Amino acid sequence: MKLTRRTFLRTSVAASGSLLAGRLLFGDLETLRAAPRGVPGAVEEWVPTACWIGKQDCGMLARRIDGRVVKLVGHPGHPRNRGTLCPKGAAQIMALYDPNRVKTPLIRTNEKGVPGRWRQATWEEALTLVAQKMREVRAKEPSLLVWQKGRSKAKAFYDEAFVKATGATRLHHGAFCSDAGYRAGEYTVGISGVLHPDFRHCRYLLAWGYNLTNAGGNQLCWITWPQQLIQARERGMKVVAVDPRLRGTAHFADEWLPIRPGTDLALALALCHELIALGAVDREYLARYTNAPFLVQEDGFFLRREGKEQVWDLRAGGPRPHDAGDASPALEGTFVADGKRVKPAFQVLKEHLARYTPEWASEVCGVPTEQIRRVARELAENARIGSTVVVDGVRIPYRPVAIMAYHVSQQELGFQAVRAMLLVVMLLGAVGAVGGQRLDVGPWKVHENFEKLEHVEIKDPPYNVWLKDSKFFPINSNNSSIVAKVMQDPQKYGVKQIPEMVIVHMSNPLVAFASTPDLEEAYRKFKFVVVIDPWLSRTADLFADVVLPASTLEKYEGPLAATDQYVDAVALRVPVMEPLFQSRGEIEIYLDLCEKAGVLYGKDGYLDHLNEALKLKEPYRLPVDRKPTVREIFDRWAKSEGIAEGVAYFEKHGVKIKGAVPATKFYGYATDPPFGGVRHRLYGEALLRYRLEMRERGVPEIYWRDYTPLPTWRKPTMEGSPPEYDLYLVSFKRIEHKQSRSSQVPLLAELARQAYVEINPRTARAKGIRDGEQVWVESHNAVTGETRRVRAVARYRESIRPDTVAMPHHFGGVARHPWADGQGPSPNSLFFTGEGYVANTADQSFHVKVRVYK
Amino acid sequence: MPRYAMVVDLDRCMGCRACMEACKVENNTPTAAFWMYVFRFEEGEYPNTYIWFMPRPCMHCDNPPCAKVCPVGARYKREDGLVATDWDRCIGCRYCEVACPYGVNYFNWKEPVRNYYLDWGERDVRRVTNGQTPPYRNPDLDRPYGEEKRRVAGGGRLKGVVEKCTFCVQRVEEGLQPACVANCPAFALHFGDLEDPQSSVSQVLGRKHSWRLLEELGTEPRVYYVGAHPAHPESRQIEEVKARV
Repeated sequence: MKLTRRTFLRTSVAASGSLLAGRLLFGDLETLRAAPRGVPGAVEEWVPTACWIGKQDCGMLARRIDGRVVKLVGHPGHPRNRGTLCPKGAAQIMALYDPNRVKTPLIRTNEKGVPGRWRQATWEEALTLVAQKMREVRAKEPSLLVWQKGRSKAKAFYDEAFVKATGATRLHHGAFCSDAGYRAGEYTVGISGVLHPDFRHCRYLLAWGYNLTNAGGNQLCWITWPQQLIQARERGMKVVAVDPRLRGTAHFADEWLPIRPGTDLALALALCHELIALGAVDREYLARYTNAPFLVQEDGFFLRREGKEQVWDLRAGGPRPHDAGDASPALEGTFVADGKRVKPAFQVLKEHLARYTPEWASEVCGVPTEQIRRVARELAENARIGSTVVVDGVRIPYRPVAIMAYHVSQQELGFQAVRAMLLVVMLLGAVGAVGGQRLDVGPWKVHENFEKLEHVEIKDPPYNVWLKDSKFFPINSNNSSIVAKVMQDPQKYGVKQIPEMVIVHMSNPLVAFASTPDLEEAYRKFKFVVVIDPWLSRTADLFADVVLPASTLEKYEGPLAATDQYVDAVALRVPVMEPLFQSRGEIEIYLDLCEKAGVLYGKDGYLDHLNEALKLKEPYRLPVDRKPTVREIFDRWAKSEGIAEGVAYFEKHGVKIKGAVPATKFYGYATDPPFGGVRHRLYGEALLRYRLEMRERGVPEIYWRDYTPLPTWRKPTMEGSPPEYDLYLVSFKRIEHKQSRSSQVPLLAELARQAYVEINPRTARAKGIRDGEQVWVESHNAVTGETRRVRAVARYRESIRPDTVAMPHHFGGVARHPWADGQGPSPNSLFFTGEGYVANTADQSFHVKVRVYK
Repeated sequence: MPRYAMVVDLDRCMGCRACMEACKVENNTPTAAFWMYVFRFEEGEYPNTYIWFMPRPCMHCDNPPCAKVCPVGARYKREDGLVATDWDRCIGCRYCEVACPYGVNYFNWKEPVRNYYLDWGERDVRRVTNGQTPPYRNPDLDRPYGEEKRRVAGGGRLKGVVEKCTFCVQRVEEGLQPACVANCPAFALHFGDLEDPQSSVSQVLGRKHSWRLLEELGTEPRVYYVGAHPAHPESRQIEEVKARV
């Protein structure tokens, strides 16, 4: 693996083809007048690997001198970051060597709930203890073991094989991220993802809560979207920012709609209202590819004949099955069929939207009416309904307007807000069109949840701990804070048994998830807590019985998606050196743990499930009676994927470029059949069905009220807080940090040292608060009346609504680190979970009313 | 002989400060020393506000006030345009720091090996790093550079000397872009030879209106800005990073 930088660059760029060779405009590895020398007498190597701190696993090259890593740089051939790194990636070099990492397995010697006292243990002792506890718990009931997902970068190994082999209950983290949006995308158009544009062709972008200069946007953690946005801007794309706080997008936005927190649904409905008023409706798309023409009865359900939904055929003057190819379906009007009054779903939508005028939305959202009208007008103009363009030799509808939205979906009305955003782009016919709306970064692929979420069978109690298929949350994003509520009062939720043991996989629930006091109570209830983490997280410090030290970049991990949406690629994390201290890669930990717990070998063992999860083909399937090395597993996987060199390919190149995604796989309109053969759900009939069934089963209205077939506005619950709680609190991400897992990295802590609360100077002065002054931020639960408060420094910002304050969510996550000491609180300790703050799809809201005082 | 310059495209800069980090790691600068610094500015009043970003390395002036005041010739202008500091020769008088209108000089108040963020003396760390401080110590910095063969690369040398951005002399002489430029995720930084009409710096300067910082002082900076505008009294710095502790 001896390689100089130049030969490396040459081979990797050649491997990636001309697609990636050109950096933005200039600057493609421009060579200055060189007199190369190299370090005399030293062995210099470049190890390709992948960043581990974030979500998008940017390609990295580690420069190694005599075995010591001296620098991490961006992999020039990686589609997602093209030779560059964000500040977190560049700073990882220091995290790698951090002497404050957990060095050996630790076993707790004091009581839980207070900072831990630890005994260093061998891996043998620690894993034997954990395995013994696993055996005990699994003997009672395997689902009493919980696997808590955090930064899981090898889904096949952790989320799938380990969970299946052990029968553990899997807890996700998406309900704190963007899952309400995923569910909306899956249910409405069948694509798993939230919203982003086809940047190459988009001309008008609603940056809806898109914290562009600090956060990722849909699905990726940063670099990829900004790079594509810059190109789009230089091409002339207009950007309108919709956000209570401008900071993230300011420099790249042409216009700012400073929307009131939690009112995104109202704005989206008003935009739909205006688009219909303007006649900006792609009737052909709606009639052919959505359920807009389906006839809706007065009871809200579709008219069916022999189980088939009907449309009103204008030519025949009567109902016809929706898949009768020659029908000319009506979108508007009222008809009589089978003795019932029926209307096409689009007509129902039109009537539903009548009340949601821009004037009405202006009041609700705190945005001028004229601005809402103008945005609607510009959306309509830029959509160029009816136009087509040829891409890759295929003629495809051209609708260069789209929305970028992701974490904005985590609000009380998030699922319906994102559904309403989808309605905006559906009316314009922009879903899957050139320049239009995309949801996933891969090819256009219909997700299994498109059908699953339409056919949820609500079950009777007892429910599992995250209330799967329950009468509370028929569509359920698996929210660990709701689990915390359930753990405290299982009877209330119809749960019989609460779990006894949890394996926390690279996660820090106490800080990273919402409603810290609830999570603490839940963790008190676990009899045995295992934390896998490179650092001593707050969760580990307070509640772990055993801490297992994970490596950072010193491990094999993957396979990692590497697509930038236009180029298909796959990558691996390759160890840049031997694991530091006694840390180990997570996969290795699981292999040993499964062996000790008796679930590694044989049918239904970890290895057996791994064969399925990695989709290994013969002759590369793993024998299920012998423990392989991690490298061997990846070697088999790579060969099974048709990469003849096996894992060595990745050790040399880091990333495998599969090629450009052709238009016929990229654009929903251009797939065969279009959109994968499904009709998009303008009208959500199943949601109505769930609503009625929930009511029938006696569930309180607070659970079923948002199950409506069309997105329907109501005031968020937080508005019920008393008037002295006069401000909205939102949380935000800074580019220097990732979630709660980087604030201890000294190079990053130096850039962004501690928690603070951003406040508009006008608001602050009225309260007598000076810039830089310590204040209390006190939140109020509108349902229970509970209050919580934290102390933080006030920072003046003009670019935030005067009725809103904002806190970064990165701090307070790591215990016993000199750079994490005194960093201050996370706003997650101020947010509430449960009724009023989690609705509909069990997704967590990150909005709450607060007061700020000295 | 090339005539090196940097062009900063403020239309692209996202203020992410990755350049600051790339610089710190490449040049091994101690705690709170930022040879590259990115300002984040906010202007205007709600709701008519504007936010913009401005990276600021050493200007590598053609008429460098810092070099003029150096009593020992430690600070000097190289033929290719780089303004260098020979730390072997620096006596720590800090005249350069006073003379520079851009505030880019950093005096080592502390013993640098004791000013690298954490205590790296740990046995397990030393086993891998051979006791190097910081553990990612860049060996390229130890070589002499230029025709003059002087020791001008990298930071964290000695207590009592002044250090600053070198335009990554150790990289430039090997034909590589400075670390900040090579890493910029927004491709907002360009570096190259003004004599070469094909270089990206020449191309960008030919295409866009440019300006330089404190141009009226006659320092003739080699760092050009395109896009945006110079900061003015209404530009409020936000998310400031504490430097020079």
